[in-house]
Formats: sequence, C-alpha cells, structure tokens
Amino acid sequence: MSASRDIVEAAAVPAGAAAASAHPPRWRAGWLNSSRGLGLILLMPALVLVVLFFLMPVVLTGVFAFTNMSTATGISGGTYQVTPGALRELADRHGMDELAEKLGQPSFVVDEQGLKALEEMGIEPAIIADLREGHLGETHASRREFERMLRDLPERPDTRTVKRISGEFSRSLANSRFSSRESLLAAAEGVDPELTEEEKTALVQATYTGWVWTADNFRRMASSRDTVRILLNTIFFVATTLIIFNTAFAMLLAITTHYIPERPAGIFRIIWFLPRISPAVIYVLLWKWFAWDTGFLSAFLDNFGIRPRNWMLDTAANAWFFVIVINGFVGASMGMVIFSSAIKAIPESLFHAASVDGAYRWQQVRHIILPQLKWPILFVTCYQTLSLLTSIEQTLLATDGGPGGATEIWSLAIYHTALNNYAGNLQYGYGAAMALVLVVIGIVLSLIYLRVFNYRALVAKPRIEL
Amino acid sequence: MRILLDHFSKSFGSVRVIDDMTLEIKDGEMLALLGPSGCGKSTTLFAICGIHKVTSGRILFGDRDVTNVSSQERNVGVVFQSYALYPHMTVRENIAFPLRIRSLPEAEIKRLVNEMAGLVHIGSLLDRRPAELSGGQQQRVALARALVRRPNVLLLDEPLANLDAKLRLEMRSEIRRIQLETGITAILVTHDQVEAMSMCDRIAIMNNGQIIQIATPQEMYRNPRTAFVAGFLGNPPIAFIDAVARDGMLAVENADIRLPIPREADRVPEGTPVVVGIRPENLGTEGDAAIRGRVSFIETQGRENLYDITLANGKVLRSIQRVRDDVSLHDEVEWRVRSDQLFLFAQNGERL
Ligand SMILES: Nc1ncnc2c1ncn2[C@@H]1O[C@H](COP(=O)(O)OP(=O)(O)OP(=O)(O)O)[C@@H](O)[C@H]1O
Ligand SMILES: [Mg+2]
Repeated sequence: MSASRDIVEAAAVPAGAAAASAHPPRWRAGWLNSSRGLGLILLMPALVLVVLFFLMPVVLTGVFAFTNMSTATGISGGTYQVTPGALRELADRHGMDELAEKLGQPSFVVDEQGLKALEEMGIEPAIIADLREGHLGETHASRREFERMLRDLPERPDTRTVKRISGEFSRSLANSRFSSRESLLAAAEGVDPELTEEEKTALVQATYTGWVWTADNFRRMASSRDTVRILLNTIFFVATTLIIFNTAFAMLLAITTHYIPERPAGIFRIIWFLPRISPAVIYVLLWKWFAWDTGFLSAFLDNFGIRPRNWMLDTAANAWFFVIVINGFVGASMGMVIFSSAIKAIPESLFHAASVDGAYRWQQVRHIILPQLKWPILFVTCYQTLSLLTSIEQTLLATDGGPGGATEIWSLAIYHTALNNYAGNLQYGYGAAMALVLVVIGIVLSLIYLRVFNYRALVAKPRIEL
Repeated sequence: MRILLDHFSKSFGSVRVIDDMTLEIKDGEMLALLGPSGCGKSTTLFAICGIHKVTSGRILFGDRDVTNVSSQERNVGVVFQSYALYPHMTVRENIAFPLRIRSLPEAEIKRLVNEMAGLVHIGSLLDRRPAELSGGQQQRVALARALVRRPNVLLLDEPLANLDAKLRLEMRSEIRRIQLETGITAILVTHDQVEAMSMCDRIAIMNNGQIIQIATPQEMYRNPRTAFVAGFLGNPPIAFIDAVARDGMLAVENADIRLPIPREADRVPEGTPVVVGIRPENLGTEGDAAIRGRVSFIETQGRENLYDITLANGKVLRSIQRVRDDVSLHDEVEWRVRSDQLFLFAQNGERL
C-alpha cells in the first residue's frame, strides 16, 4: 500500500528535479568535501608528529648503525692522521707491514724538493751542488747517518748549517696530520714514490679520523663474545620476568581479586599498582635502601649473625633476583589490570552455570577463565616482551649491569656502548647497530606471537545464523 | 525427585526478598513459579541450585537436606535466561562439560552427549560454537547441557523470554515433551501466564516474595484465591468493578446494575463494599443477570471479537464473543452474565 504510493510520488517529481538531485551541485563537489581529503588534513599534525618522533628515530638508528661513529670520530667530517695506531692498522689489517714501517720511520731523502728549499734558505750553492751531484735520490734511515754524510761533504758545513739542512730533508710522516686526502698522499709519495693504488686506499682508510660507512658493527657484533653473553642475559631476563611476573603473577592477582569481595579486592589491586605509578627512581631507591649494607635487610639479618652486605650487588644470583623482582612488580600491575577487566567482562552467569555443572573454583579458572583470556594474555605477553626488551631504567638504577656485567642486558649494553661508559669512547655507530638488532628482534617476535595465537581466529566476527 | 522448600527465607543485606516460603514440588512434576518481575522467582531458583545461600529454612532433595551442600554437589540442571553457554567451547564440549568435570570415561561421555543431542534435535550442530547458533538452537543446547548429567531437578529461568513469538510456541511444547520423556522434576520460572498454564502440571503464583496460591492451571483459573491471582491469569484479563452488598444483591454504584450474590459467597453482610471480577468470556448472551453499557471499543481477533463496554459510572468491562454483526461501536447494549461465574473479593483482595 505505502510502497505503491511511493512509486506514484516518485513518478510525479519533474524529470529535471530528479536529474539535479542525481548530480550534487558544483559547490559541494570539491575534494575537501570528500571525507578522505578532510581526513588527511585533520590527520596532518598527527602524521608530522609520527614521522618526526616515531619514524625518524628508527630511520636514524638504521643509518647510524652502518657507520663507525664514536666520540673519536665525531659526527661531522675528520682529518688524516698518521698515528701509531693508524700505522698498526695498516700493518695488521691490510698486511702492509713494509709500508707502515717506512711511513713510521724517520727517514731522510735527498730530493729536488729539499734542494729547492735549501736554495731559498740561502745555503751555500756549493753545498747544494755537492748534494745534487753526489747524493740525489739517497735515503738515510736516521738523522745521525744523514748528518754524518752532510759533514763529510767536501764543503764541510758547520754544525748549525747541518741541522738546518737535515730539517729540510726529513720525510717522516709519523704523527703528522693532513687536512685532505691529497696532501696525505703527496706526503706519502715523498717517502715512497712507488705507492700502488691499493696502498693509497689502505693508507687513507687507516689514517682517516672521521666516521665512515661500514658494516663492521655487525661483523663485530657477530664475532664478539660479549654479544653472546649479553644476549643470554637478555633472554633470561625477559623470559623469567615475563613468565613469572608479567603473566603468571598478574593472572594470579587478577583471579584472586575476582573471587574476593569487591572492596578488599580494590585495595589489593591498588597496592600492586603502586610500583607502576611511583617514579622509577624513587621506587628503585626504596629497593636499594632495602638491600643496602646498612639497609633494612642487612640490619634485620644482622640479628641472626649474618654479616651485613650490599645484598643487591653481592652475587650475580642476588643481582638477578633483585632485577627480576623490581622489573616484575612494575610489569605485574599492568597484566593484573588487563586480566582483571577481562575476567570482569565474562558474564557472571557463566560462573553460575559452571558452578551448577560441578566445576569448583580451580576448574572454573582452567575451563572458563583461562580459555577466554587468550587475547589479553597474547596482548600482555607481546606488549611486555617488547617493553622488557627495551626497558632500562629500573635495571640501570638498581645494578647498572653489575656486578661485573652479570646483569648487563641488551638495552643497558646499548646505553653503555653509545651513551655512557667508563672508557669514555662512546660508540654511537656500534650502539645504533645494537639498537637496530633490538628493533628487528621486536618485530620478529611480534609476528611470531600473532601467528602462534592465531590472530585471525581471535578477531574473526562470529557468524550468527537465525 | 521430590523437592521441598521448608520455611525458606532469603535476605540481601537488610532487604528480605523471600519471606518464609514453603513449597513442595512432587517427583516428576513440572511446576511453574509465576509472578511479576522482582517478586523473587530467580532468587528462589538460585537458592535451589545453591548459588545463593539461604538465610533461614531448609531445602530438601528427596529426604536429603541440601541446605548446606555446595552447588557443585547438588546435581541440579539449570537453563539460565541468557543460556550461559560457554562461548569458547563447541556445542559438543558445552554439553559434555558437566560430564568432563565428573571425570566420566570418554566413551561414556560421547554416548551420553549424542543421546542428549538426539533428544533435543541438535545432532547436526555439535561442532559449532554458540555464537554460530540461533536463539532457539542455543536454547536446545542449554537444555541438553542441563539434562545430560541426569539431574535431580531441572530449573528453567525464563527460558523462552529471549525467543520470538513463533519460536516460543515451538520451544514451549519441546520443553514439555522433553520433560515428560525424561520424567524429570522441573521448575519453570516465568512471568508469562500462558507459558505457565500451557507447560506445567501445577502453578505456584508468587507476589512480593510469597506464594499466594498453588494449584493446577485449571483449578487456579476457575478458583483464584485472591484478586491478584484472578488478575494474573487469563488473556484478555479479568475486569474488576466495585459494588456494595444491598438487599441480598450486589449493587454497582451509579450504574443501575444489580447482580445476584454467587452461591458460594452468600454470607456477605449488608453494606459490605466488595470487588466483583468478571472474566470476558462470561459476559455475553447467557446468564441470570443483566449488565447495561455502551460499546466503546471493538478489537477484531479473527474468530472472536473483544468488546469493551463502558458502564454508566465509567468503569470498563470486557467481553469476548464470536463475531457479531448486530453490535457496532457506540451501541447501547444489555448483555448477560451468570452469577455463579462471578468472583467476589473483599477490598483487601481476598476471595469471599
Ligand atoms: N544480589 C542481590 N542483592 C540485592 N538484592 C537483590 C539481589 N538479587 C536480587 N535482589 C532483589 O531481590 C528481588 C527479587 O529478585 P529476583 O531476581 O528473584 O526477581 P525475579 O522474580 O526473578 O524478577 P524477574 O522476573 O525480573 O527476573 C528484587 O527486588 C531484586 O532487586
Ligand atoms: Mg529473574
């Protein structure tokens, strides 16, 4: 009845009006009006921030990882310096022992360059002529030898003149510094005119003090014993903290508070939330006071005749205990809150049904609560793995990786490598490479987690059939 | 199994929800707990299955006192209003759950689940999850899960409330069929009188945490103990008018209507104000008393019509009759009522 009336009404509308309504008026057609265009504009500030503060650091980490930047190289360009270290590198890494020795030794070469200098200094032309005719091209390994030769010249120059002359023929490069590649090579050719291209490249590389592009960081990481140790420390730290505290303990708290009355449960939850909401420095400081050699623990155990000591840094095992507990209590509160609210979201009638079906509490936990907490468990595991991998402040404040590197975890190692170490040479490039590895590990782990927990099945919409 | 609630009371804090209720459900019987929302039906049910602890009184299953037995040990099957199916389990696992918890052998579980699935006609749905089922199918699964453990008693908390009208009709007879086939003692909680009357052997009608009357549906319909009961049963519902006993008759004020006093209530003192209840099907062409009024509304129901008659004093009576061509809206009519089918109530609602 009403449908047929609609048809009649539609037919009554003039054809022109119908056509007009089919095409929106021109002023509405701008791209700004499409929700896509407007959305982009509204998103712009957020996009800029994301790029600046989220994407850029990762990209820069990736870039720095392929350099050898450090305090020594600086982050801008450098000079060419023939240091003993550079010469050693030339010998050890490039196998050019001979060249290194030649460049390092003081050597005196009679060449046209030196003779020209003598002319300008106003040395007696006869001496110059003697040198040119009798000795051009000669090389002397030491100043003494060279100066003896000078004194033996027919003109017999006096000692002062000998010193002046020998200075001009000194061709040693040791400890000299050049501002450019060209001047370095020119000087080197003065010592050894027959430099090969290969030798030149090696020399430039060995003497350059600025940073260069290199994949050495990764080679070094792969071959370093420290890497393995730090990696094992990290795996141990993350796995233990995650399993014991961030999931198991958090779940225990959530389930316990689910089964006790609301008020005590709330108070209980807040207590476990304190570590999270107190500033890390203060929280860790409290632990330090607790474990100090004049702190609570020592004072208490003193009563039983146990020698006071710094319990936190006493042994590696103790250090690990404190590091895991300190980090664990911080992480447990998050899991607890997430699990609690997930349990609360389970309809109460399910627990009633389970009760009358004969399930006691632990059976309810196993058959009703845990299976329905798959997604929160995945989320907490995933999130906490990543945050533990990158967490640093509690461990830094508590043990700073000690004693003797026993609790040195990856993130802390990055910090020590790149930002703060006792040696004073901060290796930005190497630190960035380590950070890049951490980022890659994080991404890989996330992908694995999503796979294992079958992300698709979890988020799939239920198909309701009526 | 016979279930007995013996002087059972339940309070939440200082609020007394059930006050001294005594109720016996006979072995193999299906009893309806009927009452308006908030009268304490679910509370009673939860006390029987052990989810709520009773404040005072006893609960007996057969001769066994289960007052202090936990719900896990009572062996009660419950179909909750929301069905409460376990969403992460398949239909098969849902039905098997009570058996798994009791650690029955796998083969036995399989056999019982299949048997039960056959009984409630869901054999082809066993591998689906609850979210993939319709309301009626979920209902059947819940029923199967409640019955599979061979419970002492089956409790149904408004099991049909979430279904559409057609499905409700179908499940009504299904539940009754299954209850009769298994011979289980059952309690059906409902606020729908049609459900209670059509499905149950007896009805216990509740109001404000108390049982007003327990009787078979027929008996309760014919012989309501109070005006509340009379008003609760019957659709369209009974109509009440105020009257006064005068000269051995019932005079309706300002309406020029005089009704004879029904025989079973003839000791009504002169001048007593009473409430007269007239069921719609009793007002019509036959009877020994006349009622005059004006037809103020006609509702077509197909086979029959429902007529509203407004009396001279403004009160409205209802009459249900086969479709009549001689009556139209605003007609003045004089219809008849049989005095032995009138219900007489005192002002406080008690039957006279
Ligand atoms: N846990 C509780 N705490 C306090 N009061 C409650 C609680 N449960 C129920 N009540 C109260 O007890 C009374 C009876 O509740 P009950 O759930 O038994 O009603 P009902 O008859 O099942 O009603 P409905 O038909 O709406 O389900 C209500 O007034 C309700 O507010
Ligand atoms: Mg209820």
